[in-house]
Amino acid sequence: MPPQTLEQILEGRRSQPHQLIEVLQDVQEDYGYISEKDMQAVSQGVGVPIMEVYRVASFYKAFRLRPAGKIVLTMCMGTACHVRSSRLLLDQAIGQLGIKPGEVTLDGLFSIERVNCLGACAMGPIVEENGSYHHHMTPGKLRKLIEAIRRRETEDNQNDQTQ
Amino acid sequence: MTRLNSFRELEHLREQLREQRKNITSTVMICGGTSCQASRSRAVIDAVRKELSKQGLGMSVRLCVTGCHGFCEQGPVMIIEPSKMFYCHVSPDDAFEIVSQTLVKGEVIERLLYTDPATGERVQTYPEIPFYRAQDRQILSQNLMIDPCSIEDYITAGGYSALTKVLRGIAPVDIIKEIKSSGLRGRGGGGFPTGRKWDECAEAPGDEKYVICNADEGDPGAYMDRCVLEGNPHLVLEGMMIGAWAVGAQKGYVYVRNEYPLAVKHSRIAVKQARELGLFGNNILGSSFSFDVDIARGGGAFVCGESTALMASVEGKVGEPRPKDVHAVVDGLYHKPTVLNNVETWANVPAIILNGASWFASKGTPDSKGTKILALTGRIKNTGLVEVAMGTPIRTVVFDIGGGAVNGKQVKAVQIGGPSGGCLPVDKFDLAVDYDVLAEAGSMVGSGGMVVMDEESCMVDVAKYFLAFLQDESCGKCVPCRIGIDRMLEIITDITEGRGRPEQIDVLEELADTVSQTALCGLGKTAPNPVLTTLRYFRPEYKAHIYQKKCQAGVCKALITYSIDPDKCNGCGVCLRGCAHKAITGGKKQVHTIDTRLCQKCGICRSECKFDAIQVV
Amino acid sequence: MLQYVNVNIDGATIHAIKGTSVLDTAVEYGICIPHLCHVPNLSDIGACRLCIVEHVVNGRSNITTSCTLNVNEGMTIMTNTDRIRKLRRNLAELLVAQAPNSRAIQDIAVRCGVKEVRYPFRNEKCILCGRCVRVCTEVWRARAKGFVGRGKDRHVDYPFGIRPQFCKQCENCIQICPMTITPCDGPMKPGEERLCGKCESQLLTNEQAPGGCVWCKLGEGFGCGRYAGS
Repeated sequence: MPPQTLEQILEGRRSQPHQLIEVLQDVQEDYGYISEKDMQAVSQGVGVPIMEVYRVASFYKAFRLRPAGKIVLTMCMGTACHVRSSRLLLDQAIGQLGIKPGEVTLDGLFSIERVNCLGACAMGPIVEENGSYHHHMTPGKLRKLIEAIRRRETEDNQNDQTQ
Repeated sequence: MTRLNSFRELEHLREQLREQRKNITSTVMICGGTSCQASRSRAVIDAVRKELSKQGLGMSVRLCVTGCHGFCEQGPVMIIEPSKMFYCHVSPDDAFEIVSQTLVKGEVIERLLYTDPATGERVQTYPEIPFYRAQDRQILSQNLMIDPCSIEDYITAGGYSALTKVLRGIAPVDIIKEIKSSGLRGRGGGGFPTGRKWDECAEAPGDEKYVICNADEGDPGAYMDRCVLEGNPHLVLEGMMIGAWAVGAQKGYVYVRNEYPLAVKHSRIAVKQARELGLFGNNILGSSFSFDVDIARGGGAFVCGESTALMASVEGKVGEPRPKDVHAVVDGLYHKPTVLNNVETWANVPAIILNGASWFASKGTPDSKGTKILALTGRIKNTGLVEVAMGTPIRTVVFDIGGGAVNGKQVKAVQIGGPSGGCLPVDKFDLAVDYDVLAEAGSMVGSGGMVVMDEESCMVDVAKYFLAFLQDESCGKCVPCRIGIDRMLEIITDITEGRGRPEQIDVLEELADTVSQTALCGLGKTAPNPVLTTLRYFRPEYKAHIYQKKCQAGVCKALITYSIDPDKCNGCGVCLRGCAHKAITGGKKQVHTIDTRLCQKCGICRSECKFDAIQVV
Repeated sequence: MLQYVNVNIDGATIHAIKGTSVLDTAVEYGICIPHLCHVPNLSDIGACRLCIVEHVVNGRSNITTSCTLNVNEGMTIMTNTDRIRKLRRNLAELLVAQAPNSRAIQDIAVRCGVKEVRYPFRNEKCILCGRCVRVCTEVWRARAKGFVGRGKDRHVDYPFGIRPQFCKQCENCIQICPMTITPCDGPMKPGEERLCGKCESQLLTNEQAPGGCVWCKLGEGFGCGRYAGS
């Protein structure tokens, strides 16, 4: 589904303060993050003071206030994954990519997010990559996965450039 | 789908649908739940669908993409009725054989059968599998027959007949009486008597009332609600409607956490289909009852599982809990009387109406009736969703159903009830899954998450994990939770990093006591529980960390060293190549060694070594 | 028309105005209940937890904040039991360990009986009492300041971290902030944090024990509601 315009997202929700979170959810889903400009527009559209919009956007982890990397690696930090050593996976990702959770690599390719349980506990530890769940991960497998993604993306890049 | 305007029309539709399925000889149920999708069940579904069509079986075999079957570790999972054949780890390449041999000729494909690790034998049907046999799957079994995206499936299976029974002629006050005598208690963790909650709301003054389904399920390690909502959304909705009728509400919300996209999707589809059929809206089925539901998404905040925070979130605000001096049943959503119940609580309601309160109360213990869905995960052989009668001993769940520890290790503890619950040691495994029994032991049934830990789990680390989790999720408003948890975490971190001092345990206990008594909401009040239970039952581990600076389980990085066992190492070099910190040296086919000054204990070598030669001391 | 209810606080029957909080009633009647985030004429949020009392219901004691608990006919409240004093002391200890660089916080610590601080000191500039946010939102209605983020990351800020045009620089937020009251011996630089305790030696005996209000110097320090009313 192509991303909606802000107008479309606000349709049917104008001047309805209780729709604030739903509107922000749609903005996050369609644009990948919520910019200052979008927040101002949402504030006007939904009828909520800008301080409150900013407060809500910064409270909920679902909302990113800065753009994410092309590939978002979401590491599940739930209990079941934890006892299967998910901490080691997070350390591996941080070490290999050189960024902390919430940050983006310099080339804009990767960002790491932590989530407190994806609900696929039997298959843990889980690393989610842009919607795909990688299960029963180990630090070794994660290292190979990141390298494979990097290779894939650089090849795609090269292919795009040569065409 | 045309709108149904009377009870008779619904019954007629049900008869029609059943008639249409008369010619079905077999049903193939493939799990499309989140866990099986992680092991690529979608590809299996497509392959089987294609194969059925190729072999011309589209009319006689029904392919049903269902919700979770519970035995997640064995996914992708397939069940075939009426033979009850159970196939696991199915791959798309198996589709041809499954269709030609099992469906057409009735032959069993041995390699797809489940092998019982205890006996080494293959088991054909799912009721014979020990994992399933020891359970009482009242709610979860319904997942097998239903495609959650099809209201027709739900109706064919008898769905919405409880609602019909109610609207046809049971007064609200009698429904409340029935729920009260069933003994149903909140399944979200609070264990509050459901009938009493509904009664208080019904009594509260006001014409505008709400019912809410709490599908925020934030407890890490718990995914029962996800599976019920993903796999059988109409069951939950029907429960909510009965509740709404009982308390006088006309509007309901299902609050689903953001991290469950499939549950959101399936709930939305369910609501849409129900609206089309006229099961939501004005004058439902020709009665005087009008009701509608909206799906509200969470924003990624565990604290929104707390009722006042959840309601604030539905109102579009930050999920900061409010003081609960006046209860939600009187002053709730938009300051109106509101009944907020968990997914599983709502899911139990239709069966109670259909089968009666005494049927429900015949299972369980005097204070904890019915069945409970548990998410059994962690370091055991059979992980997945389990449903047992209340009163079942923990031992049965962990060993008979869970199959005991993996890799020949010893089970050490089980964490029940999420971050608000506690850890119980093996010698307490005769305790029953029962609200009051577990509360007395310092733990709680909670939402039903059960994480099993073995000798390689450090209990101090587990306490630290939960404190870090709660610190992350705290709304931050009140001092005891925001600062108190932070200071508890500071002390425990000192302990896990070798800086622990004996007097810190006293400070920790006193602080834990203060936080539990003064915090504003349930998150803060129960935050000390993991610390308190681990101190109660695993104090020796704390002492070892403090006095000997040792972590027996080999988890706390500052207190362990990695080394290579010379008896097991054959010099294959896999670890050397895998080490990102160049800490391993060794020639080909010679015993390798780890330079502990360079070793970061990242765990790669351990996960790559096929000979179990990397030791942690 | 004012309506009244009878409540029992610490054994005394008090004629309280219906619709007011237990804390307001107690302050009015001269019963000392320490508080930090409560400011007269601003909404009460129950964030600091210092004003906790025991609310006895059906023979059971519920610990609850008196600022968010409204008076009801026949209510029984205890403000000064051993249990409450211990909890309050522990809370005040957490506060002073977090932000010792304020006379208000140091005074609260004395008032609540903190004798030693068992946590490493930090030197936070904001104690997150929310007074500034509430005065900006409720009195001046500018909404230029608010709570942002969650949990450990919770802090007070302008939208996007930049003071907006619609902030009229009334400076009420600064005036009401307890962290702007410097410690008596001067600001504590990093490394100098400590439990001051000077007041304790200088207070008169009857100023030290909570119970009845004695117009103590401490109240002046943390902006006690009793002073605001006078």
